[in-house]
Amino acid sequence: MKPTDLNGRVNGEADAVLTAAGLGVGFFAEDGRRLEVVGDVDLVLRAGRTTALVGESGCGKSITAAALGGLLPRGMALDRGEIRWADGAARGPGRGLTYVFQDPGECLDPVFTIGNQIRETLPPEERGRARERMEELLRTVGFEEPARVLASYPHQLSGGMQQRAMLAMALAGRPRVLVADEPTTALDVTVQAKILRLLADLQRAERLAVLLIAHNLGVVAEIADEVHVMYAGRIVESGPVDMLRQPRHPYVQGLLKALPRLDGSGRLEGIEGSVPPLGRRPAGCRFHPRCPLAREVCREKAPEMRACGEERAVACWACGEGGWA
Amino acid sequence: MSAPLLQVEDLRVTYRAGRGTVAAVKGVSFELARGRCLGVVGESGSGKSSLARAILRLEDGVAGRVRFDGQDVRALKRPDLLAFRRRAQMVFQDPIGSLNPRLKVGSALAEVLRVHRLAKTRGAAAAQAASWLETVGLDADYAGRFPHELSGGQRQRVNLARALCVGAEFLIADEPVSALDVSVQAQILNLLKSLQERRGITWMLIGHDLAVMRHMADEVIVMKAGAVVERGAAADVLARPVHAYTKELLAAAPNVGRALDRRGSGPAVWD
Repeated sequence: MKPTDLNGRVNGEADAVLTAAGLGVGFFAEDGRRLEVVGDVDLVLRAGRTTALVGESGCGKSITAAALGGLLPRGMALDRGEIRWADGAARGPGRGLTYVFQDPGECLDPVFTIGNQIRETLPPEERGRARERMEELLRTVGFEEPARVLASYPHQLSGGMQQRAMLAMALAGRPRVLVADEPTTALDVTVQAKILRLLADLQRAERLAVLLIAHNLGVVAEIADEVHVMYAGRIVESGPVDMLRQPRHPYVQGLLKALPRLDGSGRLEGIEGSVPPLGRRPAGCRFHPRCPLAREVCREKAPEMRACGEERAVACWACGEGGWA
Repeated sequence: MSAPLLQVEDLRVTYRAGRGTVAAVKGVSFELARGRCLGVVGESGSGKSSLARAILRLEDGVAGRVRFDGQDVRALKRPDLLAFRRRAQMVFQDPIGSLNPRLKVGSALAEVLRVHRLAKTRGAAAAQAASWLETVGLDADYAGRFPHELSGGQRQRVNLARALCVGAEFLIADEPVSALDVSVQAQILNLLKSLQERRGITWMLIGHDLAVMRHMADEVIVMKAGAVVERGAAADVLARPVHAYTKELLAAAPNVGRALDRRGSGPAVWD
């Protein structure tokens, strides 16, 4: 029996499928100079758990996800830290780890049927009974008439159905890790709710380790077990999803206050300014120019992640021991 | 009580599709008083954007009546049509797509002013452009920047300045913040609100985010498949929805507090 907390969360390294330690991605300009895109990222992805990477655009969440599967854009390289699979095996993208992206319409090829496209992603040993396996996959993602879907072209399916088809394709290679990069952002809210429920079901039923990339904290609160909030290339706060009730970091607090509420009206409390672009990130704590709590030390020295309570950590001088918040 | 600024009566929009036709808007009626904000809620295919375009006379295949400040919009001819185009404008979701990438922000605004003959000289146009930038919360030195040098929120501010500088009184904003990050979204929503309060701008806000509607809109209409299924004061409709579809939208909207409550209990400090 593994130690679990009240929410059934597994503690420690148990159930870890993939561990990333100290990941750093560099962008190399023409003159060979290295700009840090993301740095010091620690992640543990666990079977049957959803880990969320949250943040605004330009914070490095999608780049972190791309780095895990070797999908970094040209000019960038994963050149710090290491990625370990718990079973010691080395895996390329597509087998151990698969992706689902924001816009299913752009990922599907318009001139081939869904059946043709799923067939291509099946492992060679399953191609003999391809039809059976494909129908099984489509049922897993909630299609009641798989035969009809297999014969359909992408434009004949709605956005939600296309995203289900993408999920079926992602599952074809029996991955251990599913990276869902803004999987519901392009969908209508009612469809989004259904796809989120499906993701949560799949994660449980297939014992998948899901890495959810999202900017919408509501989406994260719906299905994530653990949350890492990124700001300007670094993780600034981590913890179980409940941490969103009482975030410590001023950035995370600001994000939550900035959300419009169904029971509220009047002015919203935003965060002044915007995320600094690559190459213009300030010294010290990268959030300090926008932070209401910033002091001298924040301008001079970058804070590191420090434990603050059960399974939680935060990178902020103002928080915790010696802090003033 | 003064006459409403906008009266829409039994508005219909029909598109040709192959040999048949598709009704995108199926008889929508409403009135909007000066200085108020009407929220139009719906998902894709609900007809909300077609409705907006029909009101601004940017759409063919329209039937029904649109009256703006007493004038029949569909019957307007130049120069009254040009005056209407100045007074009633649209702000789009994607702020970069609606700015000329090769024009500096200040030149873009000055050009609009000159086209509409609102500035006699280049110098006057530049000065006015700078002052409109300040109205939307940008320092005058942003006039010298190109759109790609601005963040998404700053671009949306420039779009607002461009609409306001020729004298817009009525603005239709189609998902104006859905492409923006959360922290910036709040800044822009606050700006829209203050333009309504300080300058008496009348808004029609189109979107799917019900929490945004709650903050911004005085009244809302909920559209589905081209028809209005529910309408009323925003506070009422969103707190006590009657139609099944409105209820479904509310239940589906991701919400941090509600999600955490469902998954375990404990109060949130930011609540």
